[in-house]
Amino acid sequence: MDQAAIETHGLARRFGDLIAVENVTLTVTQGQFFGFLGPNGAGKSTTIKMLTGLLEPSAGTIEILGQPFSSTALHLKRQIGVVPEGMALLGRLTATEYLRFVGRMYGLDRATVERRTEELLEFMQLANERRKMVTDFSHGMQKKLALAAAVIHGPKVLFLDEPFEGVDAIAAGMLKTMLQGMIQHGATIFLTTHVLEIVERLCTHVAIIHQGRLVANGSIEALRAGVASTLPGAESGQRLTLEEIFLSIVGAGGGEPVQELSWLT
Amino acid sequence: MADLSGTIDSGLAPTGSGPFSRLAREQYAALIAMRARIFANNFRTSAGAFEFGARAISYFIYSLMGLGLGAGAGSVAYSLVSHNHLHSLSIEFWVICILWQAISIALASLQEHFDLGTLLRFPVNFGSFYLLHLLFGLIDASTLAGGLSCLGLLIGITLARPDLFGITLLVLLEFAAFNILLVRAILAWLDRWLAKRRSREIISAVFLLVTVSVQLLNPVLREDKPFTHHHQAGGPKTGELRPWVSVIRTTQAWLPPGLASAVVSEADLRDSSAMAASLGILGIFVLGAGGLLGIRLRAEYRGENLGEAPSRSKNEKREAAWHIAGSGPISAEIEKELRTLFRSMPQLYAVFVPMVMVVIIGSLFRTGVTAIAHPFRLAIPICVAYGLLGFTQLIYNNLGAEGKGIQMLFLFPVPVRTVILAKNLFHGALYIFVALASGVLASLRIGRPDPDVIAATIGWFIFALPANLAAGNVISLTMAYRINLGRIGRQSGSQANALLSMLIQTTILGIGVGVISLCAVFDRLWLAAPILLAFAVVAVIAWLTVLRNVDAMAHARRDTLIAKLVRAE
Repeated sequence: MDQAAIETHGLARRFGDLIAVENVTLTVTQGQFFGFLGPNGAGKSTTIKMLTGLLEPSAGTIEILGQPFSSTALHLKRQIGVVPEGMALLGRLTATEYLRFVGRMYGLDRATVERRTEELLEFMQLANERRKMVTDFSHGMQKKLALAAAVIHGPKVLFLDEPFEGVDAIAAGMLKTMLQGMIQHGATIFLTTHVLEIVERLCTHVAIIHQGRLVANGSIEALRAGVASTLPGAESGQRLTLEEIFLSIVGAGGGEPVQELSWLT
Repeated sequence: MADLSGTIDSGLAPTGSGPFSRLAREQYAALIAMRARIFANNFRTSAGAFEFGARAISYFIYSLMGLGLGAGAGSVAYSLVSHNHLHSLSIEFWVICILWQAISIALASLQEHFDLGTLLRFPVNFGSFYLLHLLFGLIDASTLAGGLSCLGLLIGITLARPDLFGITLLVLLEFAAFNILLVRAILAWLDRWLAKRRSREIISAVFLLVTVSVQLLNPVLREDKPFTHHHQAGGPKTGELRPWVSVIRTTQAWLPPGLASAVVSEADLRDSSAMAASLGILGIFVLGAGGLLGIRLRAEYRGENLGEAPSRSKNEKREAAWHIAGSGPISAEIEKELRTLFRSMPQLYAVFVPMVMVVIIGSLFRTGVTAIAHPFRLAIPICVAYGLLGFTQLIYNNLGAEGKGIQMLFLFPVPVRTVILAKNLFHGALYIFVALASGVLASLRIGRPDPDVIAATIGWFIFALPANLAAGNVISLTMAYRINLGRIGRQSGSQANALLSMLIQTTILGIGVGVISLCAVFDRLWLAAPILLAFAVVAVIAWLTVLRNVDAMAHARRDTLIAKLVRAE
């Protein structure tokens, strides 16, 4: 059996009376490109924050690479890379300085930091902007820099919260190639995004969270088969897109949608 | 193409124009409701309620200070007018004017300001934008202190000469308007200038020039005071500078404080035409200050970005040519702190300006204008303590500059303790440098202090550093607030943090003053150093204890820290 890279049992997070995430139990095996989907406010970022130690779970357990994970498990933090919500950049450093800082904080030696910083800046096409302060970067450039910082220490598990948001098509293609390369080398990627085409192209497995609860979890093929069997009008052999699967699962419990806005018709 | 005309019901009310149009009034009502909601929502969390409590206490203290200033201003005004020295009122007007501006700038980073830039996405007209900027700016310590001082002046003059009430009220209203507009204009322009390298350099040069000028003028302004032997030996001759003093005296009469004073004097002489002229010129200054503010606000209204946006050539120069030795997280953090500090002019000014001001304070002791029994003997510790004032924000909000980067603190495979230790080491080194420099600068102005004074100063310093760091770490983790490193004004400061940090600093200072004064009274000043070193031992233990518990504290407060520091500017 494949080893689990990420495993949660009964993970929950409450903010006062609000239940943001409830009883999430999932397993992501090593080497998997895992898509974590859900509508806005479903609990995706909250889950990622708990999985990376940015937020204390109200209940449940987390294991990363087979070991119990908490915010103080520093040896495990060394094995994970994160592009958090908001990117966590330091605006008053240049791109080079920021990557050097992050590399050193992950315990890389100076020579390795220098080499990887140069490679990453070249790869992300930020080399010409290396001396600009991060605060002067465009949103897309900041995203690329955040990604570069997340991989500088060669993490075994990578958590990406909306990594492609604001990134141009050329850079997005490049990043996809990089991420697929990491998967081939045994890394595990936990990705949240609203761009379902990307998930469909990259991920083998997905989980869908809705109103804090996990409502689907499995390979895309398995979900496709499951949803197709429940659709009354579905023709045999019809290949559902991930968007159709997603809407079918999430839209089902959403009640009657408003079809039009009174003042725009 | 489909014809969409008539298909969308905008539902918009008639817009009108100007700051008092129907739309503008609706917007003011919405803003008031929004501020009321924010106020009410403060009480949803204990931190918010605590912050409100701290704000109330702060404003109570500011009010007391303002009342003190007002009472002082009133008494002096009463005395001057009663003795028919109305021309000397200009000194009072100048003091109030300078205090008004200085308090506002000094406390700018500690007061919460609503960033009106967030309103620019709405159809807010420029008049409303300007008016709102002024109204929101009114709720601060400088307006309170300045306003109460003016009230004191009005009462003092009226009690002495009831017939001058009307004209004094009129001129004080004009004078207050000038100060309110000027302080807003100064803050707005300072932010603009400090954001650009060239203007930053000019500002620094002007500041140094003014400081040196004050040094040169000092002996002349104190010409009736006894000079020390330093002045007689090498100082500038009074006679040479007297023409300049005359020029300054004439010039000040044409500036707002001088004009305001002149109006009262001219009313006393019943010189209506001169009075009207002075009032008119003062009015022009009010319009000028309003215009200066308007130019800045107009640029902001048009969506100006005050980011550094450096030129390509500057980018190329900004190579990280230097590194802090070592490859571990402590050196990485120190290097980051150093780079960040050097790129934030407001923080650099905060740290180094008190050190420059020590030179001026030193001059006061040198000319013997203070009423302290042994001014020269205790001048050095006073100057050193003053020089360290600029560290309040660095030490007591040591995570504030992280912004969104605070998340990395919890993502790195490094204990939070290591990061805080690195910050403490950096701030400690800077603290030692500023203390040494302040001590040396003060000594150069005043003369070498006695060995027991030096020992007492060092003893207090060794106590103050760990004590401040220990308290600073706790307050930084529990009352952090985001700092905008590129601006002096419009910060999202925390009154709770400001109040507590001031209280702790005052206590630390008070312990030093108490010990040194007691030892001096009993003529045993040599005893101060060992006593303060005993305090230092306690402070070091407290600092180490805090450091040991930093991880637990940081993780317990993680959600709040991230929420406070990541929130949008």
